[in-house]
Amino acid sequence: MKENVKRLAELGVLTAVALIIFVVELQIPNPFPIPGIKLGLANIITVYAVYHYRAYEVAMLVTVRLVLGAVFGGNISALLYSAAGAYLCLIGMLLLKRVIDEKHLWMASVLGAVLHNTGQLLMALVLLRTPQLWLYYPFLLLSGCLAGAFTGLCAQLVTVRLKGWKR
Amino acid sequence: MKHKPILITICVIFIIGIIGSVWVLNAPKKSFVRVVSDGKTVYTADLGVTADTSFDVEYQGHVNTVEIRDHRIRVKSADCPDQTCVKMGYLHSAAMPIVCLPHKLVIEFTDSTDGVDAMTR
Repeated sequence: MKENVKRLAELGVLTAVALIIFVVELQIPNPFPIPGIKLGLANIITVYAVYHYRAYEVAMLVTVRLVLGAVFGGNISALLYSAAGAYLCLIGMLLLKRVIDEKHLWMASVLGAVLHNTGQLLMALVLLRTPQLWLYYPFLLLSGCLAGAFTGLCAQLVTVRLKGWKR
Repeated sequence: MKHKPILITICVIFIIGIIGSVWVLNAPKKSFVRVVSDGKTVYTADLGVTADTSFDVEYQGHVNTVEIRDHRIRVKSADCPDQTCVKMGYLHSAAMPIVCLPHKLVIEFTDSTDGVDAMTR
């Protein structure tokens, strides 16, 4: 019981941190005028959580972050795209976690980011019914690799820093 | 080392991304453009002959202002939060349409203006 409450509180803190990062990132101007390309710094928390919490706990964290992020960002209509990306990324990372150990967390993060962009693009294809959107995919692959590597490295640093916090 | 296949996968994805991006950026321009809102073509034009103009495309109460100027087309302004479509500037590659995800708007080059619900001005 006590253990449950502690985990719940930790998840709450992580969600709050993810939301703060998300809102701060919204203020950073995006130099790439292509939909779907961004650093996705809030995913640092997702990557960390995937490796330290149970699957359903991470799913809850991601869901709350998505919904509240859409509300805070004032971009409710973008929720469908980000949700498609986030859940595909989450499923992929939960599976990759079995193959990739924590020391190589950034690899899982890169593949997760690529899956994230794939999910967004698939959702856009479904909603917009414009097959030409596939032509964005190369850019999304590139940005996914770079952003994923960056957030993955950040998540590794976070893991080191949080070693003492989580017992 | 058991991570090697994963590392190779990542490298392959990255290289495909680079090759694809170069290919997309070098795709030739076309003369005909089409504006698609929520899956329906709402405007087509031949940029080679169309005079400078601008018009609004509405979707569920939201508006994108599309501008044609010097035989080029762009989204001049939009009331969406992310403004990505505006920042994309003029349509410059047949392979890369301008899209506004929140308003389901697509502006792209097309082969001709023979769409069923085409509305040429």
